[in-house]
Parts: sequence; structure tokens; C-alpha cells
Amino acid sequence: MAMVEVRGVRKVYRRDTQAITVLDGLDLDVQEGEFLALMGPSGSGKTTLLNLIAGIDRPTAGSVNVAGTNVATLSEGALARWRSHNVGFIFQFYNLIPVLTAEENVALPLLLARLSRKERSERALTALKIVGLADRAKHSPRQLSGGQEQRVAIARAIVGDPKVLVADEPTGDLDAKSAEEILTLMDTLNRDFKKTIVMVTHDPRAAQRARRQLHLDKGVLQA
Amino acid sequence: MRYLPYILKHLKRHWVRSLLTVLAMTFCIFVFCVLQSFLAALQRGLDSTNANRLVTRNAVSLVFNLPVTYKERIAGVPGVERVSAQNWFGGARKAGDFKDFFPNMAVEAEPFLEMSPEYILTEEQKRAWLENQTGCIIGPATAEKYGWKVGSTFQLESFIPPYRASKPFEFTISAIYATDDKQYPGTDKTIMFFHRKYLDEATGRHVGVGTFAIQIADKTQAGAICRTIDDLFENSERQTHTETEKQFLASFLSMAGNLALLLNWIGLAVIFVILLVTANTMSMAVRERRTEMGVLKTLGFSSGKVMGLVLAEAGLLGALGGAIGILFSSGMIKVLAMVPNVGPVVQGLGGLPGPVALTGFGLALGIGLIAGLAPAVAAYRASITDLLRHV
Repeated sequence: MAMVEVRGVRKVYRRDTQAITVLDGLDLDVQEGEFLALMGPSGSGKTTLLNLIAGIDRPTAGSVNVAGTNVATLSEGALARWRSHNVGFIFQFYNLIPVLTAEENVALPLLLARLSRKERSERALTALKIVGLADRAKHSPRQLSGGQEQRVAIARAIVGDPKVLVADEPTGDLDAKSAEEILTLMDTLNRDFKKTIVMVTHDPRAAQRARRQLHLDKGVLQA
Repeated sequence: MRYLPYILKHLKRHWVRSLLTVLAMTFCIFVFCVLQSFLAALQRGLDSTNANRLVTRNAVSLVFNLPVTYKERIAGVPGVERVSAQNWFGGARKAGDFKDFFPNMAVEAEPFLEMSPEYILTEEQKRAWLENQTGCIIGPATAEKYGWKVGSTFQLESFIPPYRASKPFEFTISAIYATDDKQYPGTDKTIMFFHRKYLDEATGRHVGVGTFAIQIADKTQAGAICRTIDDLFENSERQTHTETEKQFLASFLSMAGNLALLLNWIGLAVIFVILLVTANTMSMAVRERRTEMGVLKTLGFSSGKVMGLVLAEAGLLGALGGAIGILFSSGMIKVLAMVPNVGPVVQGLGGLPGPVALTGFGLALGIGLIAGLAPAVAAYRASITDLLRHV
């Protein structure tokens, strides 16, 4: 069974009286350990599909099975718990909490687990070590470069050891060198840590680093 | 508790705004606690009254005295056990100097002692007072304030013209009465009592009676006895108004307007303003952090947990302000106890009353939580995609 199994997914947004169909009967399989890049023009439905896979939005119709769970059927609370165990999300603009240090940002998802303060700190430092920023643990986001912030955000995404990583334009706000570092890191997470990665990107060079590329146009997937 | 460091860091984020909100809350709880302590002190005075005691005064005003001859007629009313004529002397060590003032009253010692068990004296102390016409009994708080002991002498001069003599009144302390806060809570520890006949003799005339304190046998008959006494003097030149001691004290206090109502309204107004200030702070704080809340939800925080974090932050602001407000008000009550005119009223409280402090803290917490409720519910309801759209 695929790690991500999307079947007949339809997503309609309502704006006042107008219904906007973003995805219409979409099917997609992502195998365990795969690194998939989703490309396409703005408004093609890439982020919507990513949000459905990450369980932060619900389909209007169809099913989204991720790691063996149909996330479309879960209650709000159960879905939140499911996200904390199964999905790591990497944002385009990092979205670190500015008042927390790098270590505290990484440890944030662990507040939901029954761990002591020491255990949370140890795990956060391990995640920071993986992304090569252990020496910046006590730095605040303001003291980090864009690339470093994104690496901290990746550490936050992997600290709970999720099965799936979803990344929405992870290099979209970075210079070429930092983008390369981030892509190398994601490659490592995929190869060495066997993480299944679904990445949305506009950047063809970034997409080349993935094992498979798919194009989405007007809600329809093209190989 | 694991979320506390996270919440504190957010409060530190805009520390000036947080500090100002906490200070506003501090001011609110400070005002509330001081006003309520004052009311508690007044209520304590009312609670110390005896249901078996009535007070008869001039129906027109307390300013006008009643004839001494009324005493015998009141004593003859069925149900009346004893009557003590008394006058509020208004004496100070310097006439009219209310900065150095303690309450003092001329009474008929024997019936007064019989009907006032809250002023505790040994038989020997009673005898010592009864045998000395210039003797007085005095409250322990006043004795301590001036360093007076039994046998100490002092002078008082009244600011009330009929009670003024050619020279100040000289007094010798016959006894310092004791009090029992368990059996007679709220007993005044500052007042001084002296012989009425000394007042008459020193002024060289019968000055009339300010009030008659009346002890009755059955408190359930108080209403009927009050009417009977007032009926006795209905056709007299000086009509009377008789009421229970509690009613008398309450009406005496209400001469300054409905103090309790006024103080409560002031407190409510302050609370309402602070509620708006805190609500504004919390709305701003949450509006600025919509993306952050979206991130928290994405990481697996449930909507309820995010709502709880907002409420906890608001509650903490309230609790901090409340705690500091209680500390300040506690200090203020101690300071007020040393202020001449107000001191005697609040001294009996022995500091900020526990129930007032608890109510104040609960109020601060409540204001914080109510102020945080609307933004917390908004954070609860918002979907992750809506929250993240604010990037």
C-alpha cells in the first residue's frame, strides 16, 4: 500500500455565492520513501493538494489515505493528534516563533508528547544536529540567516519522527546557495532517514532533486 | 505548566504593552481592594452591634439633644431592661484637631457596663472607674498609640460648643478594656468612655442627652418597643426616633450619602474600563499572531489547546496584575490605619481582609479570562488555511 493514496479527490472553495473547483477527481499515489516534486503554475491546486495530504484541510469529496489513515474522516481533535505523529510540515517562510530560540522552536511539537523538559531538549538538539545547527540552538530566529531559519524549520518538522514530510516551496524565499543546502538536506532525509517527501515547488532545479516530478494544471495531474 | 515558559515569552515579546496592561489591572484591583476593605470595615462595625440594644435620638437630627427626663419614661416602657444616657463628646487633645483624634463618649457608667459586655473589664477595673469621677476606660489600640497605661493622665477639649468648659477636661485612665474578637467581632479598640456626670459638672449645666442606649429583654420585640418609645414623645417639643443599634449605625454612616453604593459603583466603573483595556491588548496580541496559531495547529496543537493558550496568557496577565494589586492594597490598608481620620475605621481589620483579597484575585483572573475569551474563540474557530493565509 502506498504511503499516500489520494482517490477521487475534489476540492471546492466557496467565495460568497461563487464555487471555485480547485481539484476535481484527482488520484495520486506516493510510495513509502519516495521524494515527489509537485510543480505547476499559480492557482493550479498544488498547495491545496499538499494541505489535503498534510491533513490541514479536508476534501469536498474523495479520500486521502496517508500512512494507512483516511484523514478526511477524522474529527478535528483526532486529525490534530494524527498530524503531530505522522506529518512534518515545511513552510516557504519558515514560520518560526520569533520569541523562541532555535531549540525551543524545534521542541515545540514535543510539548504535545509526554516527555520531560530534558528529553524534549535532547531530542531538539538531535534534530538540530541532523540539520547542522546544533551550535545555534540558543539563537533566536532573528539571529539566523534565511537558510538557517529554514533548516531550523526542517528540524522542527522531523523532531517528532513523522512518516511523511510535506514542503510548500521550501526554497522559495532563499538565495541559490541556501536553496541548494536545503535541497541537499531534504535529499539526505529521504535517502538516509527514509522519509517520504512531497514537495511543492515552482523551481525546476529544486524539482530535479526529487525522484519523481508531477505537474498539476487546473487541478489535473500530468506526468 | 509545560506551556508556561512559552506563554511568558509571548508576554515578554511586547513587554511595554504587557507591563501597561498589568499596571492597569494592578490599579483596578488596588482600587477594588481598598474600597471593599473600607466597606468591610464599615460592615464590621455594623456586625459588632447588639440586637438587644436600641438607640433613641432626637427625631430632627443627632445634632440636637434630648431632655434628661426622657430616661425615666423610656425605662418605664414594658420590655426595656435598662437605659444609659450618653453624649458624643468629640474631644481632642487640641480642640478640633482631627489629625490627632480618637473617639470619646460620655456615658452613665453603671448601666453602660451592664449592657456592653463587649468592653471586657474585671470587677476590680469596673470599681476603679466607678469610684473616680474623672476616670475613664480606654481602648487598647489608643492606649498603645499614645503609650498610655492605667493611671496615665491626659486632657481633652471638645469642639462642640455646649461641651466646652473654661479649661480642658482632665482624665485619668482607670482601665484599658479588653476585647474578644471571637465572641464580639468588630469591637472598637480605640474608643474612650468617661462619666456623663463629669461632663455636667465641668460645664456647670445639664447639657442634655445625645442618645439613649436601651437594653431590651427580647430582641424580637424591638420594632414594637421602638414604636412605643417614639409614641411616648410624639406630642412633645422634642420628638424621638428610636431604632436598633445596627440601624442607628447604618443611618449614621449613610449621612455621607449611600457610601456603599457609591464605592461599589466606582469599583464597577474601574473594572469595566480595565476589562476593555485588557480585551484590547489580547485582541491585538492574537491578531498579530494569526500565522503563529496556524503553525501551532499545523504542528498538531488542537483548536482547544490553542484557545487554552490564549486564555492562559490573558489569565496570566490578570493574575499578575491581581497579585501586585493585592500587595499594594495590603500596604495601603496598613498606611490608612495610621491616618488620623480614617485609621480608626480600618484598624479593626488588621490588614487586608482575606475574603477581599481572594475576591480581588478572582476578579483579576476573571477579567483576564473574559478579555481573552473573544480572541481565544476566534483562534479556536479559524481554520489552519485561513490562519496561514495571513503570511
